[in-house]
Amino acid sequence: MSHAPEESAVSPARTEGIQKFFHERLGLEVLAGLAAKKLVPIHRSTHFYFLGGMALFLFIVQIISGVLLSLYYKPSPDQAFESVQAFMTEVDFGWLIRSVHSWAANLLIGILFLHLLTAYMMRAYHRPRELTWVSGILLLLLFMAFGFSGYLLPWNQLAFFATRVGTALVGVVPVVGPDLLLLARGGENVTGDTLSRFYALHVAILPLLTLGMLGFHLFMVQQHGMSIPERDLRRYGGRQQIPTMPFVPDFLLRDAVGWYLALGLLAALAALFPWELGEKADPFGSAPEGIKPEWYFLFMFQALKQLPGHILGMEGEMLGTLFFGGVGLVVLVVPFLDRGPRSRHVLNILATAAVLFFIVMTAWGYFDKNSLRLILGASLSLGSLALTIPFTNRGTRSRSVLWLLGTLAFCLLMVGLLWELTL
Amino acid sequence: MEDKCDKLDTCDNCPRRSWLFRMLVGMNLATVASLLYPVLRFLKPRRSTSSGAFQVVAPLRVNQLRPDEEGNWPAPFEFAGKPCILVRTLDGEVKAFNAVCTHTDCTVKFRPQEGDIYCSCHGGVYDINGRNVAGPPPRPLESFKVNLRGKPGQEEIIVSRA
Ligand code: FES
Repeated sequence: MSHAPEESAVSPARTEGIQKFFHERLGLEVLAGLAAKKLVPIHRSTHFYFLGGMALFLFIVQIISGVLLSLYYKPSPDQAFESVQAFMTEVDFGWLIRSVHSWAANLLIGILFLHLLTAYMMRAYHRPRELTWVSGILLLLLFMAFGFSGYLLPWNQLAFFATRVGTALVGVVPVVGPDLLLLARGGENVTGDTLSRFYALHVAILPLLTLGMLGFHLFMVQQHGMSIPERDLRRYGGRQQIPTMPFVPDFLLRDAVGWYLALGLLAALAALFPWELGEKADPFGSAPEGIKPEWYFLFMFQALKQLPGHILGMEGEMLGTLFFGGVGLVVLVVPFLDRGPRSRHVLNILATAAVLFFIVMTAWGYFDKNSLRLILGASLSLGSLALTIPFTNRGTRSRSVLWLLGTLAFCLLMVGLLWELTL
Repeated sequence: MEDKCDKLDTCDNCPRRSWLFRMLVGMNLATVASLLYPVLRFLKPRRSTSSGAFQVVAPLRVNQLRPDEEGNWPAPFEFAGKPCILVRTLDGEVKAFNAVCTHTDCTVKFRPQEGDIYCSCHGGVYDINGRNVAGPPPRPLESFKVNLRGKPGQEEIIVSRA
């Protein structure tokens, strides 16, 4: 007469009871049904599907580390720099949390760029996914705004002048520019009022907008399922024939591997290269040498540097700002511009030019030494070429062109390395 | 026949309903506008707190206008909320400029060796008269009037708007 069998008979019933309690009240079977139905197609570019998940993961890291930082940060010109300095030196792991926040921000933008590029190459924006694309571009802009507003918060020299330059660019927009400038700076100059505005933007306005937009983006993905590149559809002879794996758990577990990789990279970067704080901003001092924005704004910065004061009777920086604004607009409406093979061809040429421009300007602006510029530029080119491999077939002309360009980039990389090592 | 008007959007032939509906929309729009107006006004920055001072006595005297041991020229100082930079020509004339670069608002500095005014943000160069001579700046620097007062050799520098 032991009690053990009886007890073990009771507990499953109890957990079942609890399950039933929640199922009845939350309607979980709807979610369970959705999860069971969600399938991920398997083809040559399936691995690109992981980028979105990785970005989501980094966003979660940003929320957590950002909330932690806000416990110590004080948004005023007299205290901002000192408060960051204090929590970096006096609070346990303060330096690490800040470093993680800064590195994750940069990784996040990098991953978003890749996500954008691969989504473009898979033509994941075609009907009916136009709004998924548009919301994705808006998310990218929101995250760049996060980066720009967060950059000022430590109130150091670099941030102060980067903000002066960045907001001045808003000011040159015709007609509404001056008002936008006042709105952005909270006054004519970059002052404590600017800091308050950027703080509110960074911790309240942008997070709310981003959560809303992200919800919409994910809802769209859920609504339409994963987009499959046309060439893979053709290869398998239709959507029905393409092999799939269930999202839960197969894809999710693979996603988790991606998250672990991102976490590992993030931890290594944050610990080995702690983010520097620099010098406190001096609003009336001269701008120090070597002013540079974050790398993802570098291409605009470098282009701005090359523009002369006047072009065709227009001020150079106005032309530059309008140009980049125009490019942004084109990117936003890409799904509506792609209306057949001809326009797609034009878009591809433009996209290639844009990527090339980005690479050249970034490499040029990032280093002062030509050898290092060459190395960076060649590696970035190799990386971008590698992304296109799944979209060309073995033995075709496009694959040979790819090989040719790849070899060229590789040779350039070797030249750069030799140059750097011998000089 | 009037009884059929039971939906708001199908009341084209029901004048009383459509009138009420339009009133409702109008009132809601008015509410939104009356909420938005103070918000927009609130977003507009307050008047600048820095004085719109017409003139200022520079925190350095003429004899202090020279590079320090490391070759750095004295930093700009505040004049009416903006940085103001003082330079001295080879024949001893003192000039004052608004140090805000006309390109995208960085703060310029005087390079005594080169005898020019330089902006390190995008490498803009102005000559000693504040004229933009190289790089991206589209316009010359705003210049201020300079008056000297006191003992020769160590006069006070008074900067005022022209
Ligand atoms: S801000 Fe001075 S050169 Fe651009």
